[in-house]
Amino acid sequence: MSAILETKNLDKFFRDPVDFQALKKVNIAVERGEFISIVGSSGSGKSTLLYVLSTLDTDYEGHIYLAGEDLSVKTKNELAEIRNEKIGFVFQFHYLLPEFTVLDNVMLPALKLGKYSDAEIRKRALEKLGMLGLVDQADKKASRLSGGQQQRVAIARALINDPDIIFGDEPTGNLDSKNAQLVFDIFRELKEKYNQTIMVVTHDMNLAAQTDRTIRLHDGEVVASELIV
Amino acid sequence: MSFFKSPSFRIAMTHLLSKKRQTIVAMLGVTFGIAIFIFQAGLMSGFQTMFIEQTVNTSANIRIYNDVQGERPSLLDRFHDDGKTWNVVRNQKPEVEDPKLKNGKQLMDIISRHPDVAGVSPFIGSQAIFKLGIAQISGRVSGVEIEKENAIFSVEKYMIEGDLRKLETTPNGIILGEGLAMKLGAKVGDNMFVVSPKGIGLDLKVVGIHKSGIVELDNSRAYINIRNAQKLLNVDGSYITDLNIKLKDINKAKPLSVYFQEKFGYTAQDWESANANIFSVFKIQNMVTYLIIASILIVSGFGIFNILMMIIYEKLPDIAILKATGFKDKDIRTIFLTESLVIGILGGLLGLAVGYALQQIVGHIKMDVRGFVAMEYLQFNSSPAFFVFAYMFGLLATALAGYIPARKASKVDAIDIIRSK
Repeated sequence: MSAILETKNLDKFFRDPVDFQALKKVNIAVERGEFISIVGSSGSGKSTLLYVLSTLDTDYEGHIYLAGEDLSVKTKNELAEIRNEKIGFVFQFHYLLPEFTVLDNVMLPALKLGKYSDAEIRKRALEKLGMLGLVDQADKKASRLSGGQQQRVAIARALINDPDIIFGDEPTGNLDSKNAQLVFDIFRELKEKYNQTIMVVTHDMNLAAQTDRTIRLHDGEVVASELIV
Repeated sequence: MSFFKSPSFRIAMTHLLSKKRQTIVAMLGVTFGIAIFIFQAGLMSGFQTMFIEQTVNTSANIRIYNDVQGERPSLLDRFHDDGKTWNVVRNQKPEVEDPKLKNGKQLMDIISRHPDVAGVSPFIGSQAIFKLGIAQISGRVSGVEIEKENAIFSVEKYMIEGDLRKLETTPNGIILGEGLAMKLGAKVGDNMFVVSPKGIGLDLKVVGIHKSGIVELDNSRAYINIRNAQKLLNVDGSYITDLNIKLKDINKAKPLSVYFQEKFGYTAQDWESANANIFSVFKIQNMVTYLIIASILIVSGFGIFNILMMIIYEKLPDIAILKATGFKDKDIRTIFLTESLVIGILGGLLGLAVGYALQQIVGHIKMDVRGFVAMEYLQFNSSPAFFVFAYMFGLLATALAGYIPARKASKVDAIDIIRSK
């Protein structure tokens, strides 16, 4: 099985306000269908690693390969296209567009991609919402939903273009434990049923324990990569 | 997929609709700017067009006359110019004593045969004092052959009373300018007396009242038959001072005036240089008007700038997620540029309508302006080209006002926002 995501000697420096190395020679490989958590104390560089891996942050040294493609040589516009088509995001905050309906929010990245017709995209968006138990909320304004529901809509949006990998940045950080567990159950199910690759940053060790593998960072270095059996 | 169905356009419209009040205020800013443009610049250019038309109608395309030089070097200066002698010659007369055009009639024949010339009218101009009862007013008499004069200046069109042909058919007719007649208290049929600088007087009968619309002329000018003018000046029947020429193409006035001047040795002045001072006033007027309009549009531009900046600050999270999900910088820029252009397009269209309505309303109010020119109603430029120009100007202003915030939005760094949440 080949790695869907792989890094080679990833370094990341912050120069402002003082020189600071946030990532040191990070070498990791993620297999397709893996559900991985990145853990570490605050300031360990776990979010920074996620932003670099997800192409949002391009100010790094070393190489990142997504599905065999070297991302470090891509232009900004090419990276935007890659994020659109191959990467899904779930952040701590849901980032739904408040004036749009739930359905519109889910459809937006697919409309941007323009691979399917509008009717097709609509059908697919409803499918994803169905998977997450939100079909009856489809025509509501996104701002009307509860926090847990909003986060699930954000997951549906991340899934709409069938990405190679979903990145979660503290996706349960704003949720109560019940909803947090629900989100992890969804991730688990996506992995089991659809072989979806997922990588989440979390500081909740209970949740991290439910993933296939935990990558532990300390001061920007990978100190452990533990398979959870 | 057309642009109007694209996510960018939908997002732009949603932003505008979610901030209806601010959108409408920004739009009204543009509306106001364009409406003022249409009204103000339309009035200015309408007035100028009318003035130029009247000037062209009432002054010759080219006027040939004998320029009496006021000053010339004396004979003494010519022979003693070594710088050591101080020459004093008092009461030196001008070289040309009489503004007569020699062989005027022959000149007229030659000029009227020129292919570009539509008509020539002989003219004698002189100062005169008009008397009626105890009223005495100084002015100018224009001695003309009224048929020829009419062919060039459409005198008949501007007659408000009487018949201009009576100038030819009665031996002692006079047509007064409207203001002059009013000041004298003269009516058609009244007898009056005219005295020339040579001290010769003539009894004349008012046969008509004339109103060119140019107030200065109407207050001082009277037409008389050219033979009566010759009598007033005590000169022979071949005496004329000016030839007024009308051309088939008014734009040839300048080169032809140069040609006539060289050929005949008399001064030939085209209508543009004759009215140069007025055109330079127009230039300044236009500059001031357009400066005012530009500043109004700049203010409405700030309105757009403001609302966009507000939307952008409020929508930073939206911008961040759009970027994360694959919207490029230029897509983000398109969203906010679209917003400013929608404001500009709609506000501008409304402005055109309001401006047109203002023109129509004010254009139908009787004003009776008497100043530079006399007019009953204000004249507006309402040509389509003018409206298109105003609209383009407005769109350009809104595009510029929108570009800066749009660029700023496109440069937003998604991570900065995601980190700070």
